[in-house]
Amino acid sequence: MEYKDYYKVMGVGRDASADEIKRTYRKLARKYHPDVSKEKDAEEKFKDVAEAYAVLGDKEKRKAYDELGENWKQGQDFRPPPNWENQGFEFHTSGPGGGADYSDFFEELFRGMHGQAGGRARNVRMRGQDEHARIAIDLEDAFHGTTRSLSLRVHEPDAHGRLHPRNRTLNVRIPKGVRPGQHIRLAGQGSTGIGGGEPGDLLLEVSFHPHRLYNVEGRDLSLKLPVAPWEVALGATVRVPTPTGAVELKVPPGSSSGQRLRLKGRGLPGKHPGDLYARLEVVTPPAKNDEEKTFYRKMADDFDFNPRAGLGV
Amino acid sequence: MSERQSESVSGIVLGERETLTLESLAGLCTVETDWVVELVEYGALEPLDPTRRQWEFSAVVLKRVRTAARLRRDLELGPAGIALALDLLDEIEALRARLRAFS
Repeated sequence: MEYKDYYKVMGVGRDASADEIKRTYRKLARKYHPDVSKEKDAEEKFKDVAEAYAVLGDKEKRKAYDELGENWKQGQDFRPPPNWENQGFEFHTSGPGGGADYSDFFEELFRGMHGQAGGRARNVRMRGQDEHARIAIDLEDAFHGTTRSLSLRVHEPDAHGRLHPRNRTLNVRIPKGVRPGQHIRLAGQGSTGIGGGEPGDLLLEVSFHPHRLYNVEGRDLSLKLPVAPWEVALGATVRVPTPTGAVELKVPPGSSSGQRLRLKGRGLPGKHPGDLYARLEVVTPPAKNDEEKTFYRKMADDFDFNPRAGLGV
Repeated sequence: MSERQSESVSGIVLGERETLTLESLAGLCTVETDWVVELVEYGALEPLDPTRRQWEFSAVVLKRVRTAARLRRDLELGPAGIALALDLLDEIEALRARLRAFS
C-alpha cells in the first residue's frame, strides 16, 4: 500500500502545533467540502484532508504516525513495522470524517486491528449500521428503470468482533420514476449486525449524469428548442424530442425567443409526472450567397423594425 | 479482503409520498433526535404538520438532513449557520439549474 504524507496533504510542518493543525483543517475543510466547494476534485481532496486530520488532529494517532519516522515519501510502497499491533496504541474512530472511507494506509494503521466492535461489544447484540452511498444514473434510466452495478467498501466484524474492510458488488435495481436527490433504501444491505443482530440498511442517494438535451428541475425537464424566425412569426408545428419519443409541438404565431412552451406530463414519470418545458431559441439562417443576402436586404427595407427600440437610443 | 459474487437487490425509493418519523429520520442520518428538533427550531427543515405531536417528515428531507450532518461534523457549524448554509446552497443550486438551462 502507499504511504500517505499527512503533513504534506495539509501543508503543515512536522512540528506544527495542535492549534495550527486545527486551524489549517478548518480552512481546508471550508475550501474543499463537497457540499459547498466549487473546486474540481473537491470530494477527493476533502477526503484526503479529513483523513490527514483524523490522524494529525488526534494526539494518540499523531504520535503513532510520527513514530513511523520522517523518511517516508508520499506514495512510497509501505508495510507497517513488525509488531505494530502490539505497540499499545488505543485508537478511537470519531471526530470529523468519522466512519468515512479512508485509504488502505489508514485502515491498516489505525482501524484494521483496533476495530471498535471488539472488546466490550462481544456479548452485545446490535443492529448493523445503516450505510450510505451515491449512485449516478442516466436520465433515461428514470423513465424505464434499470439495473446498476455498484462497488462498495464495507466494514464487517469477524468472529472476534474486529472490523475488516471488504469490497462488495451489488446489482441494484433502479426503479422507474426516481428523481435526483431521492434515496433508494435497500433493507438489510448495510453493515452486518453484531452478535447476530440484524444488518443495517443501505441508502443510495441518486443523482443524474448531465444530459445532452434535457436539464432537470425538480420533476420537470427543460429543453432548448431552436426555431426559425418564420416559425415563431407565423406559427408552426415542430418536432420536439422527449425522453419517451418525439412529439409534435404547436408554436403559436407571434412567439418569441426565450418563451417557454409546456409539454404536460412529459417530465420525470411518477404519480404526478413532471412537465417538459421547451424554451424557444430563434436561430437566424446565415446569408451564404447573393440570393440570400438580397433576401435579407429586402427584409431590412420592408420591415419597420428596430430591435433596440427598448434601449432608448 | 474478499470479493463475493455480486448480488442483485432492489429497494424502495424514498420519494415525496414516503414519510419518516422523527426517530427514523434521525436514525437514517445517524444523528440524535434532539439535534433534528434543533434544526426544525432554527427553520432549517420543516415537519409536514408542525402542529401534530408526532412529527412526520417527507422522505425528501433526507438529503437536507444528511448535508446538515456533514456541515456540522466537518465544518463544526451550529444550527443557525447550518440553516443559513442550506438556504444559500438551495439558492445556488436553483441558480445553477437556470444557468444550465440557458447555456
